[in-house]
Amino acid sequence: MDPVNIIIDGREVVTTKGKTVIQAAADAGIVIPYYCYHPKLTIAGNCRMCLIEIEKMPKLQIACNTQATEAMSVLTQSPKVLAARKAVMEFLLINHPVDCPICDQAGECWLQDYYMTHDLQASRFDARKEHDRKREIFGPNVVFDGERCIKCTRCVRFLQEITHTNELAVVNRADHSTIALFPGSVLDNPLSANVVDICPVGALTDRDFRFKVRVWYLQKTPSICPGCSTGCNISVETYQNRIARFKPRINEAVNSHWLCDEGRYCFHDLTGGPRLTTPLIRQEGGLVPTTWEHALQAVYAGLKSAGPLAGILSGRNTNEEAYLFAKLAKRISDDYALEVFYRERELTEVQKILMSPDRSPNFRGAREMGVSSNGGFESLMEKLVAGNFSAVYVVGEDLIATNGDREKVRAALQTLSFLVVQDTRLTETAKLAHVVLPATHFGEKEGTYTNRRGRVQKLNAAVIPPDGALQDCDIFLRLLDTAGEKNSYASVAEIFAVLAREIPSYKGLDYASIGDQGIELGSGSVE
Amino acid sequence: MEKILLRNIDVSDSHTLTAYKSRGGYGSWRKIVESMTPEQLINEVKASGLRGRGGAGFPTGMKWSFVPKDSPKPKYLVCNADESEPGTFKDRLLIEKDPHATVEGTLIAAYAIQSHTAFIYIRGELTFGASRLDQAVEEAIQAGYIGKNIFGSGYDLDVIVHRGAGAYICGEETALLSSLEGGRGWPKVKPPFPATHGLFGCPTVVNNVETLAALPWIIERGAAVYAAMGTEKSKGTKLFSVSGHIAKPGVYEVEMGYPFKKFLDEDCGGVANGRKLKGVIPGGGSMPVLRPEEIEKVNLDYESVQAAGSLLGSGGVIVMDDSTCMVGAAWNLARFFAHESCGQCSPCREGCHWMEKIFHRIEHGAGEKGDLDLILNVSGNIMGNTICPFGDAAAMPAAAFIKKYRDEFEAHIAEKRCTITG
Repeated sequence: MDPVNIIIDGREVVTTKGKTVIQAAADAGIVIPYYCYHPKLTIAGNCRMCLIEIEKMPKLQIACNTQATEAMSVLTQSPKVLAARKAVMEFLLINHPVDCPICDQAGECWLQDYYMTHDLQASRFDARKEHDRKREIFGPNVVFDGERCIKCTRCVRFLQEITHTNELAVVNRADHSTIALFPGSVLDNPLSANVVDICPVGALTDRDFRFKVRVWYLQKTPSICPGCSTGCNISVETYQNRIARFKPRINEAVNSHWLCDEGRYCFHDLTGGPRLTTPLIRQEGGLVPTTWEHALQAVYAGLKSAGPLAGILSGRNTNEEAYLFAKLAKRISDDYALEVFYRERELTEVQKILMSPDRSPNFRGAREMGVSSNGGFESLMEKLVAGNFSAVYVVGEDLIATNGDREKVRAALQTLSFLVVQDTRLTETAKLAHVVLPATHFGEKEGTYTNRRGRVQKLNAAVIPPDGALQDCDIFLRLLDTAGEKNSYASVAEIFAVLAREIPSYKGLDYASIGDQGIELGSGSVE
Repeated sequence: MEKILLRNIDVSDSHTLTAYKSRGGYGSWRKIVESMTPEQLINEVKASGLRGRGGAGFPTGMKWSFVPKDSPKPKYLVCNADESEPGTFKDRLLIEKDPHATVEGTLIAAYAIQSHTAFIYIRGELTFGASRLDQAVEEAIQAGYIGKNIFGSGYDLDVIVHRGAGAYICGEETALLSSLEGGRGWPKVKPPFPATHGLFGCPTVVNNVETLAALPWIIERGAAVYAAMGTEKSKGTKLFSVSGHIAKPGVYEVEMGYPFKKFLDEDCGGVANGRKLKGVIPGGGSMPVLRPEEIEKVNLDYESVQAAGSLLGSGGVIVMDDSTCMVGAAWNLARFFAHESCGQCSPCREGCHWMEKIFHRIEHGAGEKGDLDLILNVSGNIMGNTICPFGDAAAMPAAAFIKKYRDEFEAHIAEKRCTITG
């Protein structure tokens, strides 16, 4: 990497050969505004917002397509540059409806932001605005407003260059140019909603999210997508203690800038429906509310007195939960088998860009914590159906709903001498339980997931669990306590510190250093 | 003056190979293939001082020399026959009357850059011209001038005539390449330039029909003879398409440096019907209009026209007499550019139609105070800030009409009607 010295606004900036001025400036913390430029897409150079002045060049140049060369002197704030930006802003807005009050993009619209920083003038355009298609459905997740579109072609390039599905193109000419679906195509590829994220304006909006919340009310929590074991980095965005949407967070080691549609919308299934807010215990054939103390005593007694135990943990449980679950099983039972729920499906080429075949984001991590048995999950389920276990402890999965042969599983669960279900909702499986423990979902907990490739990443609590439900870690700790093992962990971080001492591949990993971007297994400093 | 470009057009059946050969046609091609290296050819054309006749006037030999010789990729020569500039119809004449000169020029340029595939991209509307080119290429193939192992030299060259779909922007060389690639006719962001990353990402030279048609003569007679014509920096001859209020409209071949006034008054017979000249656009619709007093001392060469505040461009001379409403003329051109903007980059896409709307309302008696300064400001905001020269092409004439005929525009606004045509 050859260093290149350039001067931006009088400041000396060292960059590397091959970088453009827009990249060099961004690296140095100097903001050059842009719309069409996107670091993961080819250079279009069409918005003209990044025009800059370069010494010895008569015309302004676009920073996105100008290579930084030795001793180049760049001005990003000269009168000529400021005037050009203002002009571009004016051009982009003359045919724009300026309907911010009813536009879902308001609050995160680049036109709004740049208007405030680079334009701030009353419109000089008093002719009739050109009209375009409104609320055209592009696909199941994306809706288009042609009048708000600035033709930056980010969406078109994303579909050409990232998904290679080519659903959209620019059609017509001059100020009748617009984005349109190719005849007969629908924007329904597995990554379709990313075009909403990269659309800098209100032209492409999310059909699931729009009109639900004004974005300035959203609270944003960095976390990990619970959809599969790729572990895409996300921002969980909430309003009034409910998840409103997922947005991808940039992590070049995992998902780059993207998030698949399945992951993006999976929170509906994972968090919806009426919540369990009190432990339930089976009495005279029915489930009745009880206290946590009574429920935990019953679980301990039930598992202790039963025969062979199967423990099934959800792939959405964290490493810390899995570590405690394994510890608990060992404490209570002499004859047990543990597994993490796992199912695979075939993926298409486009799905493979991001998605993993499973839906168990922490499958690898939970197994490394000791929630694993010979033969894996399928084999354990076969044994369960065959009647090899007399007690089953299921956490966070509805075995009946997610199994191909529902009735066989139901019958097997019904013949158990003891079934504990720890979940957020009264699932079909929970209805058969002897004790039901109300727990928390991925959005309510802190902890770590280890993705398929061995990257340990941090989950953060985005919403508060309902009263009466307990964190899965707390449930396991209280059961361990009931079983006579005292632990005094004050935080998830402390549990991680312990497992990082005990589990070989996690040796030396430091909870604090996981940060927002995660750390690789084996990267810990081992004393 | 000896005609170079129009030397064959009055010969009967001038479009046929027989007629072309009877005038020495393809002699230059044979001479080059049999006895000249590409370097010698490039040097010869450099020495001739030939400059691109598409409008920009860039030295042809130098343009060829930018093509990397060691590139492992195929190289392409593209003949730009997408003539669409308002008021320009010189290439059309060459193609229809003397297609073999264009074909031979294409072969010569292809040889200079050692291209083995050349394209002639012709404007969609020129169906007759396309058929003439098809026929000429076919004749040249039959005669062995195009194909494998030409003149036994081992040099192979294929020529493909490709018809565009009639978009003005496809005359811009990178938009032409996008269109030729099968894509939307959008200009490409530069750099990289076509010389290294052109058609299908390969080294490419795009030359105008008129440029190429001059090559056989230059090779036949020698660069020195060509360079002896014209001015110090504008060599040889150039075609001018003269239209509008002129007694003898048509295509004229003129030695560079010829006095503009003399050209209009004598060669072209002066303003039609004995009326007075009001303005003239010297280089096609995208160039600034000049007032009669501005052309008094102007000569028809790149430098002189530029010094007068306009550009020689494509040589499309549009003459307007004193019955012309300059508001209407400006609106006419603005409407053309608003319609033809490709829509790719913001200033041109939005600005061209904005200017058109203002011109439109002035023309229709609804102009407002401040409209003229608004157009000048908008055109200034487009100028120099776009992906391709189209933005300038739309902005320059708009600004020039207002600056040079401001009284007329102001009267139009004040009286809410045309004061010229009533």
